[in-house]
Amino acid sequence: MTVRGSDAMLAPLVTALRDVKADEAELWVHRRRSAISRYARNEIHQNAVADETHVQARVVLGKAMGIASANSLDPADLRRLVADATAAARESAPNAHWPGLAAPAETAEPKAFDAETARADAASQAQAIQRVTAAAKARGFRAAGTHQIELTEDALANTNGAALYAPSTMAYLRALVTSDTGTGWAEDLGSNTRALVPSDIAARAIEKAALDRDRTQLAPGDYEAVFEELAVAEVLRFMSLTGLTGQTLKDGRSFMAGRFGEQVTGPRFSLWDDALDARTLAIPFDVEGTPKQRIPLVVAGVAKGVVHDRQSAQWFATRSTGHAADPRRYSVGGHAGNLTMSGGDAKREQLIRAVTRGVLITRFHYTNTPDPKRATMTGTTRDGTFLIEDGRITRALANVRYTMSALDLFSGIELLGPQRLARDWWSSNGMGSIVCLCPPIKVARATITGSSPA
Amino acid sequence: MPERDAQLAQLVDLGARRGADYADARHVEREYEAVSVRDGEVESVTRSGDRGIGFRVIHRGAWGFAATDRTDEMSLRGVVDEAFARAEAAASTRAAPVSLATVAPQRGEYRTTLERDPFAVPLAERIALLRAADANLKGPHAVSRRGSVAAYRTRKRLVTSEGTDVRQEIVESGAGVSLTAVKAGAKPAQRYDGRLTRQAGWEFIEHLDLARRAARYRDDAEAMLDAPLAAERPTTLVFTPEFLALLVHESCGHPTEADRVLEYEIAFAGTTFMWPNDRGALRYGSEHVSMTADATVPGGMGTFGWDDDGVPALRTKLIDRGTFVGYLTSRETAAALGMPVAIGSARAEGWQHFPIVRMVNVSLDPGTQSYDTLLKGVDDGLLLEAPASYSLDDKRQNFHFSTQSARVIRNGALEGYARGVSFQSLTPAFWGRCDGVADDWELHGFLSCAKGEPLQLMRVGHGAAHARFRDVPIEVRA
Repeated sequence: MTVRGSDAMLAPLVTALRDVKADEAELWVHRRRSAISRYARNEIHQNAVADETHVQARVVLGKAMGIASANSLDPADLRRLVADATAAARESAPNAHWPGLAAPAETAEPKAFDAETARADAASQAQAIQRVTAAAKARGFRAAGTHQIELTEDALANTNGAALYAPSTMAYLRALVTSDTGTGWAEDLGSNTRALVPSDIAARAIEKAALDRDRTQLAPGDYEAVFEELAVAEVLRFMSLTGLTGQTLKDGRSFMAGRFGEQVTGPRFSLWDDALDARTLAIPFDVEGTPKQRIPLVVAGVAKGVVHDRQSAQWFATRSTGHAADPRRYSVGGHAGNLTMSGGDAKREQLIRAVTRGVLITRFHYTNTPDPKRATMTGTTRDGTFLIEDGRITRALANVRYTMSALDLFSGIELLGPQRLARDWWSSNGMGSIVCLCPPIKVARATITGSSPA
Repeated sequence: MPERDAQLAQLVDLGARRGADYADARHVEREYEAVSVRDGEVESVTRSGDRGIGFRVIHRGAWGFAATDRTDEMSLRGVVDEAFARAEAAASTRAAPVSLATVAPQRGEYRTTLERDPFAVPLAERIALLRAADANLKGPHAVSRRGSVAAYRTRKRLVTSEGTDVRQEIVESGAGVSLTAVKAGAKPAQRYDGRLTRQAGWEFIEHLDLARRAARYRDDAEAMLDAPLAAERPTTLVFTPEFLALLVHESCGHPTEADRVLEYEIAFAGTTFMWPNDRGALRYGSEHVSMTADATVPGGMGTFGWDDDGVPALRTKLIDRGTFVGYLTSRETAAALGMPVAIGSARAEGWQHFPIVRMVNVSLDPGTQSYDTLLKGVDDGLLLEAPASYSLDDKRQNFHFSTQSARVIRNGALEGYARGVSFQSLTPAFWGRCDGVADDWELHGFLSCAKGEPLQLMRVGHGAAHARFRDVPIEVRA
């Protein structure tokens, strides 16, 4: 993959803004070069690479804004784009609460970029997959999954003089191993390919697949539980979307509304949004050009704050925290997309040993929230759901449906393991942009409301 | 376009000369224009577009795909190199070569039939329509109101090494209104519809009557704030066509996608409970339940001239009087399952995407009785108007849906509202409880069915009529 670099990405934007006839204007470009090898039944069945450039212009006349986007950095195309946004602004009504564009500001150095990862090729992806499939085949199992290498480059310029550029890379390998009786899952995620260890991924997924036999159904009820990192990330997703943004607070839909300073969940639960943590996947500024800040959201169970973009900061007479999100995915009002949950030092075996009778959940599938105000999540488990009895995994379970408020779940945290980079089902499949540094946890109570057939 | 036209043929020729067993090149150009009004103010006017070329080969028995938004010669040669490199890397893992079910080469052009180009409607007219709707969303407890209209145009051309050369221009129009109502001591109520889309012009937006719809949503949301909790017991449920459109999508459309059978989606979307040996035997629902995949429905969001394999628009039965009978297939998956091409369902969201099996228009077939007759058959039940939260397992077997608005049905008539209603079921058990489908079939359109990696958001269509389900166990949460 070829990195275009700051000059190629930023200079056309700065040039295009020179002659803009508007009160304010901004150009943001997001380039994504994504190489994805998908495999199933031990074979790569889709092998694709795509190089996309998304350019967005926001032009403001008075307090009326027009937005236009295209996928070219050619000077003539940028001029046309700005003209389209200007025309749209001319026809728009003013937004009385328009906060103005961002002023220039210093940002931290990008930490999630690795040049070697940016250069990875199709053959290296196939080799990593073959290490997983060879291990699965050796056990008589079959493997499926995805190997993804992504290079992104973001650049932003505006008529206030902001001019920012940041590259990033992402490497992801996941394996779903299927036996005649069940499935097991494992994955690695990081900003570089060295974070991916195919043999370890294969071993973890194979271990779970081998355990997944003679499934039994679990009766609905409350159980002790061990949530592995992916399962925790799934629950955090709904806290983020339903309660941690200025927009949800303004609407009164947030579980935080009217409760700052109060205990909203258990004292062992703390959560920040922290895009500056070197372990996460992020760039140091948001799509409005505001530097990202580390924001305490819930500390020791007490509600502390929400994230803001410039619009929601205006609503609350405060400053943007650097949490404006890609408008193609999230609406105005802030987005908490780099969650860091406090962890502990309990090993996986300790979490399991602490359960008298309960369930181990590896991950979830197609979750949703029937009660956003309580950050309630419902979803079925998959690829590694086990019954724990007297501190040991004793048998495999048919996938269960879990339905519970995140606040209630986290009130019952008894043990925490070390943090790991993990994404919820939606984000890991491109349907969201939330990356979590989160631990596995042992909780006193998780509510199971149904089961798939055994 | 002449230069671009020549580029596609040149790419395919180049692929053939380098030894590809199959090659296709697809140019796609997309335009989008949207206006949204939030709380009475214009929130945004957005215009966007993109264009690029996707190039696909089967080489050494494996697929390779590369795409670019640059059309200079060096970039296009780079795309060919990369597609071959990816095919070769994939080939190193394959035991058997990819094969494609036979389809005769296609030539022609398809264009959406429309009365008024939605891109040509003056912005002032669009904003006025949204402001009128916004005025009707205002209620005593409304804290957030939003309305939007959007227009979409896709131009694409597909050229294949088998001689197919087809052009399409598809225009779609969509709208939505939504509100959130909040009252102290009550659970917030939201009412919205994100599925008011049609392959049509501005005439569809006018047909929607957004102002009247907004008033209905306002009344529903305000009523839901004060509604009593429903009783948790097996209940006769009547669903609106809008609600059933999503149920059909999730519980029939997805599990009949043939790539799920081949485990291509097992690590993301999941598999299915409807296997090849089950065709003609699996009891999916009651005798009242028939479902059809149809890429020819006028106005459908899943309607086209040809899919992205170059298969012409076709129609096939998926569920026949309660029995599972058919799949949605691409040429590759049809060949892998040993089936003839009964439907072409290979679709890619854009130029940058590899075509995969997607729904077209998958619909519940209409019944013969009127909605009134259906309703009169309910002594004590609920009408579920629009889905809220929904969640499904990886085989599309266990599902959970909640509703934005539930109306009480007493002695065959609607009276008042009930809140807190959701239901969980296994797919065949749910459809097995259907004891009647009305004749008021209507078409709904979804803009963003998510599948594939990288993610592809696909337009799909779903038709349904009101239908009645007996003794559905419901869950009630305060």
